[in-house]
Amino acid sequence: MIQETQIRINGEKHSFRPGETILDVAGRAGVEIPTLCHDPRLKPAGACRTCLVEVEGQRKLLPACATPATTDMAVVSESERVDRHRKTLLALYATDHPSNREASERGAPDELLDMIENYRAPTDWGAMASVRANRHDDRNPYIHFEPDTCILCARCTRYCDEVEAVSAITLAGRGSETTISTVDGLSLLDTSCEMCGGCIDVCPTGAMGEKMPLTRGDKPERELEKVRSTCNFCGVGCQVDLNVDREADDGAGRIVKVTSPPTGTTTNDGNLCVKGRFAYDFVHHPDRLKVPLVRGADGEFYETSWEDALQKAAAGLQGVSERHGKNGLGFVSSSRCTVEENYLVQKLSRAVFGTNNVHQCAAT
Amino acid sequence: MTNSIGEIRDADVLFVIGSNTSEAHPIIAMEMKRAVKRGATLIVADPRAVWMTTIAEKHLQLKPGTDVWLLNAMAHVIIEEGLTDDAFIAENTEGFDAVRERVKSYTPEEAEKVTGIAADDIRFAARKYATTEKAGIYYTLGITEHTHGTDNVYALANLVLMTGHLGKPSSGMNPLRGQNNVQGANDAGATPVFYPGYQHVTDPEAQAKYEAAWGVELSPEPGLDLNVMMKEVGKSIFGLFVMGEDILLSEPNVKKLEEGMNRCEFLVLQDAFMNETARFADVIFPASVFAEKEGVFTNSERRVQRIRKAVEPPGQARADWEILTSLANACGADWSYSGADEIYDEIAKHAPSFAGISHARIDSEVHRGKTGIQWPCPTPEHPGTVYLHENGVMRGKGLFSAVDYRPSNELPDEEYGLFLSTGRTLYHYNCATQTRRESGLDEKQPENFIEIHPRDAKKRGISTDDRVEVSTRRGAVEVRAIVSRQVRPGCTWMPLHFAESRANLLTNDAGDAVTNTAEYKVCAAEVKRIAAKDSETPRFPGTYYSVTGPN
Repeated sequence: MIQETQIRINGEKHSFRPGETILDVAGRAGVEIPTLCHDPRLKPAGACRTCLVEVEGQRKLLPACATPATTDMAVVSESERVDRHRKTLLALYATDHPSNREASERGAPDELLDMIENYRAPTDWGAMASVRANRHDDRNPYIHFEPDTCILCARCTRYCDEVEAVSAITLAGRGSETTISTVDGLSLLDTSCEMCGGCIDVCPTGAMGEKMPLTRGDKPERELEKVRSTCNFCGVGCQVDLNVDREADDGAGRIVKVTSPPTGTTTNDGNLCVKGRFAYDFVHHPDRLKVPLVRGADGEFYETSWEDALQKAAAGLQGVSERHGKNGLGFVSSSRCTVEENYLVQKLSRAVFGTNNVHQCAAT
Repeated sequence: MTNSIGEIRDADVLFVIGSNTSEAHPIIAMEMKRAVKRGATLIVADPRAVWMTTIAEKHLQLKPGTDVWLLNAMAHVIIEEGLTDDAFIAENTEGFDAVRERVKSYTPEEAEKVTGIAADDIRFAARKYATTEKAGIYYTLGITEHTHGTDNVYALANLVLMTGHLGKPSSGMNPLRGQNNVQGANDAGATPVFYPGYQHVTDPEAQAKYEAAWGVELSPEPGLDLNVMMKEVGKSIFGLFVMGEDILLSEPNVKKLEEGMNRCEFLVLQDAFMNETARFADVIFPASVFAEKEGVFTNSERRVQRIRKAVEPPGQARADWEILTSLANACGADWSYSGADEIYDEIAKHAPSFAGISHARIDSEVHRGKTGIQWPCPTPEHPGTVYLHENGVMRGKGLFSAVDYRPSNELPDEEYGLFLSTGRTLYHYNCATQTRRESGLDEKQPENFIEIHPRDAKKRGISTDDRVEVSTRRGAVEVRAIVSRQVRPGCTWMPLHFAESRANLLTNDAGDAVTNTAEYKVCAAEVKRIAAKDSETPRFPGTYYSVTGPN
């Protein structure tokens, strides 16, 4: 039997299971505690200090993300003391962080700026230039790092180590020069990195970002429309958010980037691989077929109307059926297409042409 | 999969066989990594030292095609040491005695001689699997793409049944589906023997049901499966309709297929891109990709999930379901579908497994914290099924099948001295009509390669990056060599993605006795050095791991 015990948060009692942290219980109870370095997929780091709360009997504020709930613990998440701490902390973060959204949000939204606004932290404590080093010559095609907006919460390096388990990036350097780097500052292409882009997904400030939209000068994520869909590659069925610029391509729309839905809501738990996150350029590739084609008597393809192509296709298939019998035809369907489309192919084969010679492509 | 992806993280033993999970199913691999970090035991059986072996407790590096020996020997150990779940066997299964008799001669010591795996390692795997409550089997095409693929699956199922690892969380028998909608395409009836929902075409009741639904007479004669159909092109098949596949890249022994295609009288192709098969097409319909249409894909864990239209298709291209409707009507049918949701309703109406599923439900409901609905889902109130066989085995009794080892169809000999297996890499996808149009992926992995063991490379004077010719009895291609200990001595491995050096000119089209799935994983090949390293070669043409480890 699971042992149920209770904790008080802001005076209200909540039950918890052994192993849960204050943050876990607060999350379930709908009590908002701000975090920057926390991600449910990662072990608690307690690094960013934004989740500090008061715990009765404890002299210091404690990190909610790393403090296990215990029986009869009394937690206060909103108080004058906690508020003073948050304002101070966020004001310090602000000193070497870009203050305007245009600079810091060329890609993904910046949660730190949201937090500074929400908690009304002072932003006039003077500005320091960030001295974090970058790998300017990293020729990897997908992952961009912007050291100025990095707050060293280490979500990216911990994700790379704990979830993707390839440990391609690490915290490097000391003191104010600490940065996110690779072994010997190599390009990600030359490391164990598998380009899953999880570092981008977990980054709270957008310091890790998709390189291609930035290179193309696409609109920032806030101005894009998210369309929830399913990845079209392997059989895991990851849910993806296609981030669409509705106005691009004369209103046809263009996929600017792919992001993963929040952790804990879909099968992929917020994770994607290199193909799911980055391989969407084929959608808008100039090689796409755009017009129906029929082969002429000279053996070349010619563009034609839909009506002509459909009629020629129908006549051709019917001709084979008449000359060689119903089973002279074969229908190859596609496991890349939808359930509905596969249904229609077998219905076409069976109900229209009278043959069971229909199989989907993954069968051999 | 009998079980769900979300259950993997809670497993205590993961027996992964014939699956390069971190490259072919990266997100499932993440769940496995998570389980291992938590303390689960990972056992990987694979002729290649795939990445997952780096975190595995044991790597059973068997010789290609000797799976039945390994699995029967594991069954032998489980029975001999009394580790079977006798209550489960008695209540839920039939045919155990035949298996018990059959595996008697499959001792771990004999298995060691055939498979190359130490007898004690086989014992370790058998004990660990049998004595752990939450023990799941995960496999992919390394099990099925053999002439004895069905035997491999039976041998695995025997292990599941004799240990009672069925109908429980984090256990079961879990084939990881290779493509986004393999599950859904089969579910929808795109198979020569089943109507939608696995209702057999020879079943008069099913036939009558669909005759009434579609208002036509239907054939009770099973159709040709894809492998046979391809062999019959130009012999009994003279017209083809091909949607969303490049058969001249992905089918085995494509040279033979090309000869048949020359005698094919009419070919209709429906695709988003030109491909190799287009050379033989008479009519080509410009189709849509997933981001341009509505519909559902069904993943490996039977979860029916939506795709949604995000952008318009280019030019005059249309959604595939619209094209199919128009084509049927041009052939004299009278179909009128207003959208993919209406088509799905028609599927659900006649197939009990999906009867409770609709686009509207998928769009609005969340079950157990996740979107999508897992079939079986018989009613609109049913929440879907996370793992199968919970209330006893679905067919009534789980059927044991005694199987014997049969060698692969073509084994290395004096002329072709090496094993060749083919497969997928992380950076490309099957025919790669999509991924090879991605500048980033192409930069990471621009060309074909073959992995060859240092011992075999030395014998042939081959170094990493040399141009080599790989040949089999069916054809030859030129690729780059990677000298790597990832493969066993005597074995080579090559990806299938590259149109300019098609691995499927080499592969054997001999099919499995039951399913006719071709033996992509084993054939005899020879490798010959052609020229030295050319200068402009990327650092890691394979994956990082294939070059750096395991040395």
